[in-house]
Amino acid sequence: MLDLHSTEEVLTIEHLAISFTHPRPAVEDVSVSLRRGEILALVGESGSGKSMTARAVLGLLPPGARATGSIRYDGEEILGLPEADLNRIRGARIAMVFQEPQTALNPVRTIGWQLREALRAHGTTSRKAATERAVELLRAVEIPEPERRLASYPHQLSGGQKQRVVLALALANQPDVLLADEPTTALDVTVQAEILRLLDRIRERTGTAIVLITHNMGVVAEIADRVVVLQAGNVVEEGETRALFAQPREPYTRTLLASVLRLPELDSVVEPTAAPAAAPAAQELPAVEFRGVHVRYGSSRRGRAFPAITDVSLAVASCEVVGLVGESGSGKTTLGRLAAGLVPLAEGQVLLRGEDVLAAPRAERRHLRRGLAFVHQDPEASLDPRYAVGASIREPLDIHRVGTPAERDARVAELLEAVQLPASYAERRPRELSGGQRQRIALARALALEPALLVADEPTSALDVSVQARVLELFRDLQERLGFACLFISHDLAVVHQVADRVAVLRAGQLVESGPVGRVFAQPEADYTRRLLDAVPVPDPARRGGRRVRELAS
Amino acid sequence: MIRYLLSRLGSALLVMVLASIGIFALIRLVPGDPVSVLAGPDATPESRAAIRAELGLDRPFWSQYLHWLGDLARLDLGPSYKLGGDVGDLIADGALNTVVLTLFALVLASAGAVLTSTVAVVWDKRWLNSLLSALNTAAVAVPTFATALVLVLVFAVRFPVLPAGGTPPGGFFSHPDIAFQYLLLPGLALALPAWAALTRFLTEALRTQLQQPYVTTARALGIPRRRIVLTQALRNALPSSVTVLGIQFGTLLGGAILVEAVFAWPGLGRLIEQGISARDYPVVQVLLLLSVVVFVLTQLASDLVHAWLDPRVRLNGVS
Repeated sequence: MLDLHSTEEVLTIEHLAISFTHPRPAVEDVSVSLRRGEILALVGESGSGKSMTARAVLGLLPPGARATGSIRYDGEEILGLPEADLNRIRGARIAMVFQEPQTALNPVRTIGWQLREALRAHGTTSRKAATERAVELLRAVEIPEPERRLASYPHQLSGGQKQRVVLALALANQPDVLLADEPTTALDVTVQAEILRLLDRIRERTGTAIVLITHNMGVVAEIADRVVVLQAGNVVEEGETRALFAQPREPYTRTLLASVLRLPELDSVVEPTAAPAAAPAAQELPAVEFRGVHVRYGSSRRGRAFPAITDVSLAVASCEVVGLVGESGSGKTTLGRLAAGLVPLAEGQVLLRGEDVLAAPRAERRHLRRGLAFVHQDPEASLDPRYAVGASIREPLDIHRVGTPAERDARVAELLEAVQLPASYAERRPRELSGGQRQRIALARALALEPALLVADEPTSALDVSVQARVLELFRDLQERLGFACLFISHDLAVVHQVADRVAVLRAGQLVESGPVGRVFAQPEADYTRRLLDAVPVPDPARRGGRRVRELAS
Repeated sequence: MIRYLLSRLGSALLVMVLASIGIFALIRLVPGDPVSVLAGPDATPESRAAIRAELGLDRPFWSQYLHWLGDLARLDLGPSYKLGGDVGDLIADGALNTVVLTLFALVLASAGAVLTSTVAVVWDKRWLNSLLSALNTAAVAVPTFATALVLVLVFAVRFPVLPAGGTPPGGFFSHPDIAFQYLLLPGLALALPAWAALTRFLTEALRTQLQQPYVTTARALGIPRRRIVLTQALRNALPSSVTVLGIQFGTLLGGAILVEAVFAWPGLGRLIEQGISARDYPVVQVLLLLSVVVFVLTQLASDLVHAWLDPRVRLNGVS
């Protein structure tokens, strides 16, 4: 049958360079070869040129980009082919899957229509044949009831199912090469694990070679045969996955691997936690306390209310960081917004430093909320693009009329220093800063009024691993120095493990379990927590086999 | 969908009531007086007062207004002051002509806009875009009566190929080919601004759609760009354009007054124009209110079409 370890090269990229009109080249010199039936991981941080390289293969570079060098498919040069010739290769020989399944599908066409359209582009003209093949494809990507799903629109599917449909589209015309650009980044860990297994099975069944573009070393360790590491448009290192993880040669690869956060082994012995640096004094009131809270979305009058939070009780002591984890739709963001009074409470009580926010008079409420700040996931969207960042940091001081204008300016400089940015950055616009710098600004703004409680909603999810590591370090440092309490929301268990004292696991709006982070992650009580932890890809290729065995046994 | 419709009906009703008050007040603020028009320059104060009393114009504003509403509710539009005959009969005579003309212009504008914008996007050539953009600006900038006069001069006077005005002698339905010739010039004059505005909007919407990730997905599957524009981008760009089309309908209603005057088209637009000149309050009031009603109903219809075109709205947004 298929020889999975064929050495025949199906796709060869040589000295690829991609430049735009003004800034530095996106890709400087990239050479990569892909063998038939292998899974090759292209890893690197944002701006490393990994996505651009993949797009160049299919001639899908943004307008104004110029690519030079050579890209050969099956020995034939395809770089710079005219559109009509490229269209014969796209989808039929080389297909591509993109990161965001939410937007990768046409919202106003049915799944069946889109699959038929993909087939039609490469010769399947009869509607009946196309429909049959579409059902077959949906079955191949393991979508239940494929016949019924043909009539569904994308918005009727879950994120994981959408990504399966995107995969089905890519596989429709049996390509030899599949370019997968961060195919699981937008998905929950359990769904990510399923999609990765599916990719592996597809490779085994059809012999399709897969280029997996990712920034997640865990994902690489999980399924890649070989790894190519990119940095700033150049290949830094390449090698077999095991060898590269065991003995990275280049310092950059070592940094990349070192910044990967690791979870403790499941069922490992819990180290007795050293007494927390700032043990919350027992008599001090918790920064926030939820008492049996319920949140419902939609109108309850018509009986169609959707319970977003059901009977959750949780307290965050002052100076304590509590991680909120759970998959999308688990209600973790809703709970964070509830603390800030941004969603209506259906039942229960929210106490800020012992005071019931909703029961308090209006003027008092404003005062209570002043002790609370928010950091959002996407600093690009949460900072006003037309404000200099100094003005953004100053805004809360202005609103609450803190000190004189001169004092406010001094405070802005102080805050910038606290987040390790030079004071001169106050004059810059958000777009002049990198993602990590922007998130530091958002943090500085949140801390401007010295809040007692900080709600951080996925504050590092949009950042590269090495940047994330630095921001988390800064966060922990500030938290210890300033002593604010924090509700830290994240889908990334390793991040929570890194920063939180305690963790609360949510599922479908209910609290599954909570406890000290070390204990919950090493010896989870709830079955769901265990499954969640188990789905996190381990950044260690040597442990891949063990995991599979465990799966088969279960 | 039914609930959506009901919620929209309430606000539509409110708009109509407010508009009726506005119209009723505005027409009375227009300088000039129906009494002077009817009584002539040499009338004695006594005869003027008699006419005023007969028309009910001596009563307070709100009493007149409520009286009018009562008549409207009974569908009794009353006699006109000056134009002669019953207001209802006058409207019935003109309605068909105007409806046919506006619908023709509407179809011309929307079909034309879909055509020009897809052509502009599919053949993405610089010179073509510059040309279309220049034509577009001209079509919006030049007033309707000017384009109407130019069209008459060129196609009816200089090269007499089309009729210069009037309605087809045998009606619209006995000889559709002749009716088409009569409709072409006024229809074009009326449609041009809406055509241009819609083209601009739809071209922009199509270009925005082409930046969407699903288009990249489709391109990566080897589907030709032209086909993506026609079967995918257009389908996504249409819902929002329907809303714009609904708003453009207001432009068409306003334009109809001018176009009908130029082409001697015996429709409601011309009736409004004559009514205003004669200060014929009952005629003008009803016609203006009618155009508000038509406009509001069009908005409602365009929202419903929008909802129907977008499965996310149609299927209530829940999976």
